[in-house]
Amino acid sequence: MKARLEDFLAWLDDRTGFRLIRFHLLDEPLPAGTGWFFTLGSILLVGLTLQVVTGTVLALYYAPTPDHAWDSVRFITTEVRLGSFLRGLHHWGASVVVVAAALHLARVVLFGSYRKPRELNWIVGIILLQVILAFGLTGYLLPWDQRAYWATVVAINISKLTPVVGEYVAGFLRGGPEIGALTLTRWYSLHVLVLPPVLAILTIAHLYFMRRQGISGPVREKSGVPSPFFPGQAARDLVMAIAAGTLLAVLAWKGAPALEPPADPTASSYVPRPEWYFLGLFQLLKYFPGKLEVIGALVVPGIAMTLLALLPWIDRGATREWKHRRLALAGFGFGAAAVVTLTILGGRDKGVNAAPATWNPQEIAGTVLINTGTQCTKCHSASSTIAGPIEPGHIAKPADWLATHVVDPEVIAPGVRQPPETNPRDTAAILAALARLRGGPAPAVDAATQQVSVLLTRNCLTCHTIDGFGGTDGPNLSRVGQKYDAASIARRVNNPPDVDPNAEMPPFGGKLTPDQIQAIARFLAARK
Amino acid sequence: MTAPTEDRRTALATLVTVVGGLITAGIAGLVGIVAAPARLANARIWRRAAATGDVPDNQPMTVVLTARDEDGWYETKKQSVIFLDRDGSGYRALSATCAHLGCRVHWDQAASQFKCPCHGGVYDRQGNVVAGPPPRGLERLSVRVNPQTSDLEVEL
Repeated sequence: MKARLEDFLAWLDDRTGFRLIRFHLLDEPLPAGTGWFFTLGSILLVGLTLQVVTGTVLALYYAPTPDHAWDSVRFITTEVRLGSFLRGLHHWGASVVVVAAALHLARVVLFGSYRKPRELNWIVGIILLQVILAFGLTGYLLPWDQRAYWATVVAINISKLTPVVGEYVAGFLRGGPEIGALTLTRWYSLHVLVLPPVLAILTIAHLYFMRRQGISGPVREKSGVPSPFFPGQAARDLVMAIAAGTLLAVLAWKGAPALEPPADPTASSYVPRPEWYFLGLFQLLKYFPGKLEVIGALVVPGIAMTLLALLPWIDRGATREWKHRRLALAGFGFGAAAVVTLTILGGRDKGVNAAPATWNPQEIAGTVLINTGTQCTKCHSASSTIAGPIEPGHIAKPADWLATHVVDPEVIAPGVRQPPETNPRDTAAILAALARLRGGPAPAVDAATQQVSVLLTRNCLTCHTIDGFGGTDGPNLSRVGQKYDAASIARRVNNPPDVDPNAEMPPFGGKLTPDQIQAIARFLAARK
Repeated sequence: MTAPTEDRRTALATLVTVVGGLITAGIAGLVGIVAAPARLANARIWRRAAATGDVPDNQPMTVVLTARDEDGWYETKKQSVIFLDRDGSGYRALSATCAHLGCRVHWDQAASQFKCPCHGGVYDRQGNVVAGPPPRGLERLSVRVNPQTSDLEVEL
C-alpha cells in the first residue's frame, strides 16, 4: 500500500514537479535566530487570504446599486445566517490587515531588512501598502451608508487636487456628473475585480523575491546552522495566526460593524468621520488652509511615502546594527510618531453635531403621529400584509420619495387604499420625524409631552419657534418659562387681550379645550 | 550562410515585439476610452427654490432642491442643498457644499456662521471664509425673482 502511494506521488511529481514547489514553499533555509518577529508577514498573508474568502461570500449577497446596496448590506447583517459575523470578519479583517502591514513594515525598518540586496522587494512592499489602503477606501463606499457617502465625497475631492490631471482623475473615480450609481459600480469593480489580481501578483512577487534573496534574519548574525521554514518557523506562524484569528473572531462576534443611515446628501445632522486608519490624513487636512490644502492632502503624504520608498538608498550605514543607522531610524521614528499622534488627534475630534441631541416638539409630534395616528399604522404594522412596520434606523427611501408617499400613498402603491386624511402640519411633522428616525429611535418622552407636542405643532409652531423649529411671527418660546408662569401663559393662550391689549395673537379659547390649554401652559412654563 | 538566418530571426523578433506591443496598446486604449466617464457635468437651469415671503429676516433658510437626474442607466432624484437669505433689498443664494472637500455645511444660529462638520471650515453669513481650511467662500448661486409668480428661482 505504502509502495503504491510512493509510486503515485513519484508519478505526480514527474508530471507536475510538485516536490520542487513544496521545497520552494516549505523547505526554505532560515538563518539562525529567525524568530517571532518574522511571523508578522505571515499574519498579513493570512489576513489578506481571509479578506478574499469573506469578501467572496459577501459578494454572493451584495448588490452595487444606490437603490439596493444599503438594503443588501442590511439583509446580510440581519437575515443571512452568521451574516453579521461574516461582515464583522471582513470589516475588522481590514483593520487587522492594516495593523499587521504597519507592524511588518516597522519590523523590516528596525531590522534593516530593506537594505541591499532587498531594495526591490522593499519597493514592492510599499506598493502593496498602497494597494491595501486602496482596498480600504474602495471597500467602505460599498454599504452606501452615510459614512461611505461622505468619505467618498472627500476622497474624490482630494483626487481633484492632483496637479494637471486632477479633474480627469476625479471624473474617472466618480464615473458620472455626481457621486451616484456610476460611482458605486466603478468602485465595486475596483474593489472586487481590479485590485485583487494586482494584490495577488504583487504578493507572489513579494514572496518570490523574499525566497530569492532569503530572509534577512536578526540584526547581528548569529552562529548556527540554518533551519528549514517547515516545521519550526511554520509553528511560530501558526501560533501567531491563531492569536490574530482569535482576536479577529472576538471583534467580529462582539462588535458587528454599525451600518449607518443610508447615504443622504442633504442630511445636516451627520458628522462625517473616516475609518480609523485614515484619521491621520483627515487630521492633517485641517492644518493647511486655502491654497495650501494640496500640501496636506497630497504633498506631505506623497513626500513621506517617497522617503519611505527611498530608505534603502538613504540608509547606507556600514551594518544593519542600530548604531550605524541612527538617521534612518530617527526619521522613521519621527514619521511613525507623527502618524500615531495625528490619528489620536483625529479620533478625538468628534465634531459638532448640527442637530441638537434633544428632539423638538415637531419631531416628537411626528413620531407620535407615526406610531399612534391612523395615517401610517393603517398599513405599516407587524401584522399588516401591505407594508412592514416603520423601524427607526431602517428607513432607506430618499426624502422626496417619503414626501410624496406621506401626502398620498396612492402615488407609490396604486390601488392599495384611499389617501389618508391629513393636513400640511401633520405631514411636515411626520417627515421631520422620519428624517430623525433614519439615525435611530426617538427618545422616550412621557404621555403629556407627546400630547402637548402634537398640540403645539398643530396650533403654535406656525408663529412661534421652540428648540429651533417654528415660525418667526411671534416670540421664541424655547425659554418662555423664565418669564412667565403656567397661569399667566394659560390666560394668554385662552384670550391674549386679557394680558396684553395690543396682542396680535388670535385667541385659542374656542379652539382648544381648557384641559389642552392647561397642558400647553404647564409644558411651556417648565421650559427655563 | 548563417548571417541571413540570423537577420531574419532578428527582424521577425522585432516584428513580433512591435505588433504585440501595438495590440496591447490598442487594447489598453480601448479600455481607457470605455472606462472614461461619459458625462462629467449637468447643464444648469433655473429652478424654483421658494416663495419670496418664505425667506426669514433673522437667519438663512435651508432649502433642499430636488430634480430628476440621469445617473447613467439609473434615473434618480438629485438633491441639492442651498441657503436662501435676504441681501439688502434682494436675495442671496449660497451652495451648502463646503469649498474645502465637499461636506455639507450647516447654519449655526448661535454663532451666526456656517460651519462644516468635517475639517472645521467656518463661513460668515455672506459665505466668506472666516476660519479653517476652505480655499474660497461658499459658491454663490445666481438668484432671481420670477415676475409672474413672485417665486425665487436659482440657477443650479
